[in-house]
Amino acid sequence: MSAVLADMPKTGTSKTVVPASTKAIAPSKGGRPWTFYVLATLFAAYVIALYGPMFCIYILSFQDIRGGLVFPMKGQSLHWFVDLFTQVRTGDVKGSFDRSIKLAVIVTIITVVVSFLAGLGFRKRFRGDTFVFYVMIGSLVAPGLVLGLGTGLLFQALGLNASWYTSALGAQLSWTLPFGVLVMFAVMSRFNHAWEEAAYDLGASRWQSIRLVMIPVLAPGLVAVALFGFTLSYDEFARSLQTAGSLNTLPLEIWSMTLNVTSPSLYALGTVTTIVSFIVIGASLGTIVLIQKKRGSQAKG
Amino acid sequence: MKSDRGDIELAGVCKSFDGVTNVVDGVNLRIDDGAYCCFIGPSGCGKTTILRMIAGHEDPTAGEIVIGGQNVVGLAPVQRRTAMMFQSYALFPHLTVRENIAFALRVRGQSKADRLRAADAMIEKVRLTQFADRLPAQLSGGQQQRVALARAAITEPRVLLLDEPLSALDEQLRVQMRQELRRMQQELGITFIHVTHTQLEAIALADLVVVMEQGKIKQAGAARDVYAHPHDRYVAEFMGGQNVLSGRVEKVNGASFTLGVPSGIEVPLQARPTVNVGDQVDIAVRRDDVALVRPGRDLPPGYTTSLPSRVLAIEYQGYFVKVMLDTVPDDEFVAYVPEKTFFADPFTVGDVVMATWATGSALPLA
Amino acid sequence: MQPSPSPTSSSSRSNLAGWLYVSPLVLVLVPFFVAPILVVLAASFFATDGFGGLTPGFTLASYVEVLHSALTLKLYLATIKFTVLTWIFTLIIGFFVAYFLVFHVRNQLLAIGLFLLCTVPFWTSNIIRMISWIPLLGKEGLINQALLAMGVIHQPLEVLLFSDLAVVIAYVHQLTIFMIVPIFNSMARIDKKLIEAAIDAGASRFDIMRLIVVPMSKSGIALGTIFVVSIVMGDFFVVKVMSGGGSASVVSAFYEDVGVLQYPTAAASAVLLTLVLVAIVSLILRTVDIRQEITQ
Repeated sequence: MSAVLADMPKTGTSKTVVPASTKAIAPSKGGRPWTFYVLATLFAAYVIALYGPMFCIYILSFQDIRGGLVFPMKGQSLHWFVDLFTQVRTGDVKGSFDRSIKLAVIVTIITVVVSFLAGLGFRKRFRGDTFVFYVMIGSLVAPGLVLGLGTGLLFQALGLNASWYTSALGAQLSWTLPFGVLVMFAVMSRFNHAWEEAAYDLGASRWQSIRLVMIPVLAPGLVAVALFGFTLSYDEFARSLQTAGSLNTLPLEIWSMTLNVTSPSLYALGTVTTIVSFIVIGASLGTIVLIQKKRGSQAKG
Repeated sequence: MKSDRGDIELAGVCKSFDGVTNVVDGVNLRIDDGAYCCFIGPSGCGKTTILRMIAGHEDPTAGEIVIGGQNVVGLAPVQRRTAMMFQSYALFPHLTVRENIAFALRVRGQSKADRLRAADAMIEKVRLTQFADRLPAQLSGGQQQRVALARAAITEPRVLLLDEPLSALDEQLRVQMRQELRRMQQELGITFIHVTHTQLEAIALADLVVVMEQGKIKQAGAARDVYAHPHDRYVAEFMGGQNVLSGRVEKVNGASFTLGVPSGIEVPLQARPTVNVGDQVDIAVRRDDVALVRPGRDLPPGYTTSLPSRVLAIEYQGYFVKVMLDTVPDDEFVAYVPEKTFFADPFTVGDVVMATWATGSALPLA
Repeated sequence: MQPSPSPTSSSSRSNLAGWLYVSPLVLVLVPFFVAPILVVLAASFFATDGFGGLTPGFTLASYVEVLHSALTLKLYLATIKFTVLTWIFTLIIGFFVAYFLVFHVRNQLLAIGLFLLCTVPFWTSNIIRMISWIPLLGKEGLINQALLAMGVIHQPLEVLLFSDLAVVIAYVHQLTIFMIVPIFNSMARIDKKLIEAAIDAGASRFDIMRLIVVPMSKSGIALGTIFVVSIVMGDFFVVKVMSGGGSASVVSAFYEDVGVLQYPTAAASAVLLTLVLVAIVSLILRTVDIRQEITQ
């Protein structure tokens, strides 16, 4: 995905980037091979299967106050949406949601900056770089729960209080940073070193070169890292479980809700998040299209 | 006080990347201010490395680089007042032509209005005004090259370095752009250093041609000198246009000597002070100095050498015809016959002809 | 400025620069990965008073207990079974979805849009999606109702939920995206000219997939495998919820041990699991040098 994103703004036209050719796995012009239909069907089936549980969530969230977690559906109302936002007896959804969002934003910013820097560092070999790389991979594959326990014990031993903005933040970063760095690897491999040299040749300092050349060109990749970081943090559970302290993040809150009082307000939450994410995606894609159209019309002028 | 002169002096410059082999091996050279200098040689000969060291993108392992009387080793490119045009042009993909050209001024802190105005003036000079708002991806190869040139020239460098600037272009464009480069150089009045592997390009453009092999300079001089009077076999063969023959000296006779192989070629001695009988010597004969005569016919006046040869291949090259012969065993021997002469009595492959030349046309090589 | 630096000093300069750039990363990883792992390692050697108190010392008792327990072997077998099944299905589905998006979708913007479409469900919390399997797969769920209505079955399928099948379905549902992303990235970097050359040489589409696409997606497949394997082997609640308590995993046992404050045994089993994971990941990285492939 980052490879595709890295390609897009360079062309500056509003047309597709792939040059039309009949000599490809699937020709860009003319009829499609039979494998297209098979694969398209598979893809459609995958998307339907992906959204399968979601459909149940959407439908069941519109039940009325008698509603339960399973079919058959009881009534139609927006009761559970209201219930969700008034958090009377179903749990502190609003509070934990706030915390999750704040935490996710902090994690995203730190992940983008640190991954970018690490990506810059790994371009040239330096002594010990393999060691750092494997520590990073280790952080990625270690079972979240184990790390959570270790971090919790550590904080306990040091006499520090675990809380969502310290220990949980660190624990989530140990999960998002390896992802971010790996994405940065892929993104930076497509960055032409000659641009940096040209900037240096023309008199740019290191910082100017990064600010004026690297970041704009790598922008789509940085956005990909940000998306990864946000999503991973927002839904992070295992590592946060023992490090969040007394105030829950949203996944933890939902977990405790499922253990105690499960109600369709959770489904309402699922519906709301889906709507929000569609809006966000639609807005981002729309912005990309607008930027490309603007560049295209500028060019013709 | 920084000098504005762009004369360059390389003294004992060496470069090694792995500490074992020298990619550039003890180079000494002086380039005049305002000269157009071409470095030429095969891949890996070190010419691009020297260019990058002059530019400031590599540091020499040993030796000095002096520009305008100033020792520049260790200085950043911007401090040396040099600018480089990269082989791939390296135009910033996210900036328009105007912004690309204005980049150097931007990093110097010039105001937006000032630098865009200066960029526009530069765009006029390279005649790209209508493309000023385009992105590099929307330009053709030749246009991109002009942007790269303008971008480098706007910094008013005293030396402009070009890394194989024409190799990405097709033949016709290459010839066209050659003239652009020469025109720009004379307009700007600064030293140009141009790296290429195309001999004809180098001799077309350069005041000073530097032929390199494996990190060393084999010969440096005016284009005509290097082409017509190569110092050794390597330069003769690389620059093209010469046939090189090897042989043992059979007889030394005052102002000339006779080469044993293939058979009795008389060579004038002006260029070589001492030659003894039994020495192994190389000589060069220009391909366009070789006349091909059918056996039994008279040789042109003054043409003393005559070697029987079989025609191996014939290539039509427009105003001359390239005839490849087996005159010398195990080595190439080529004659450039003017078109009209050839077609007056054309040869075919397999014909036996006499390869002849005047005594003074054969030159000894180092 | 300074005179020309010698080769050794310039490489030490780039050493310093490299470390400077990765220092923020290291600053996070040390306290939040290296230190916790060391703590867990240490805890595995301690003795406990059975009530959560830890007495520092050195004993291998916990390891002995864990290794001798028949439960351990059972758990590992179960977890490995789920891992392998999940890996196979996520790989096949993920590969062909990525293949479709890269090679068959003509408009790049559309490809990105379709890709993002696949990510939307993951914005909803994992846990909510977990509980939503019930109305879908349950006895009175949508699937059973649909199949009954179509006449394909006469009695609701009970095996769809609270079974091993349900566990694998949930894993595959959750983790295919982790396969799609790296494989997509690898495929998108294949030079289209290679494919043109292959077609010129007479290769069929199947040949191209077998001989060009698969080998060149190796790093993506390896990366996806690492993600899937580490997540499944480290999971503790998907398996419990979807199997209805019938199956357990290594980490869920760990979670229970922690719950009853049996820290040393929990730690010992955690260390063992980590070693197993490290071994698997090293094996994968041995076949594919990810760093080399990614930075190419």
